[in-house]
Amino acid sequence: MLFFSYFKDLVGREVTVELKNDLAIRGTLHSVDQYLNIKLENTRVVDQDKYPHMLSVRNCFIRGSVVRYVQLPPDGVDVDLLHDATRREARGG
Amino acid sequence: MVLGLREFTQRTGEGVGGPILDTDNGEELMRVQPFVSIVLGNRPPESHGSLYITSKQVIWLSDVDRAKGYAVDFFSLSLHAVSTDPEAYPSPCIYTQIESEADDGDDEDEESDLESGEVLDLSKVTEMRLVPSDASQLDTLFEMFCKCAELNPEPVEEEEGHNWVFSADQLENEGTGEDPGWHFFQDPTNSIGHSNGDHDLANTVLRLQINDQRFEDAEEMDQGNDSSHQ
Repeated sequence: MLFFSYFKDLVGREVTVELKNDLAIRGTLHSVDQYLNIKLENTRVVDQDKYPHMLSVRNCFIRGSVVRYVQLPPDGVDVDLLHDATRREARGG
Repeated sequence: MVLGLREFTQRTGEGVGGPILDTDNGEELMRVQPFVSIVLGNRPPESHGSLYITSKQVIWLSDVDRAKGYAVDFFSLSLHAVSTDPEAYPSPCIYTQIESEADDGDDEDEESDLESGEVLDLSKVTEMRLVPSDASQLDTLFEMFCKCAELNPEPVEEEEGHNWVFSADQLENEGTGEDPGWHFFQDPTNSIGHSNGDHDLANTVLRLQINDQRFEDAEEMDQGNDSSHQ
């Protein structure tokens, strides 16, 4: 829930999604759902030498369960808000 | 749960019609797209066939060879995308990555296996392209893939439910009529199909506060119950 809300605030921002199969895709975050499925637009593969055929796809849906990391824009993290929200989540659960 | 691509040969009408679906378990046909070629890994395209998107899986059936067909469950589709860059692939297509049982293996070995075209081991196919002859349908197909992917969350998650959102107090009071199957997350407005750009940080804080109020309500109710027992 927390990360769902959190990622929704990053909609429109540029993020890099790293998959469990080591593929890293950079793109504009279009949307995210409660399963943390991620839709990116204007995507490009970070390691283009390794994945030349995926050079560019227009839009891309990534299944939440295959995501290893999401790299955020540094200024996209409101640390205080995240601290507070994390504490609330911990208390609620 | 079987990961990866598999053969699909069960057709209606004595083997010449559409796919036989698992309607007993709620499988529904969502869309049919005729004249679609399929490309597995780096192999040459196989044409033409019909693409059947159901609520559970993607099925491609050859129009030429009635004994030929492939299927993959949505929970094995790691990623799908619209590919229109001719450098990526000459024809505009839906590009998919498939999570396979043999996913730990070396990708390069596997691709050279596929290229040699000797024996095709479907369980090792990690990429599939679907090339509709009508390229104007790509966006519609993409959206349908997204919709169906959301209908198929991780099976494990589904079994466990979302019990973790309950506080200990709530668990102790299960007999008070609270629906234990209550799904915290089922909010259709949060569908991935919608752009969520209107949610700013303040909105999130509000949302979290609302959640807290729910828990507070529950506690107040517990207190109410306690006092009625006294």
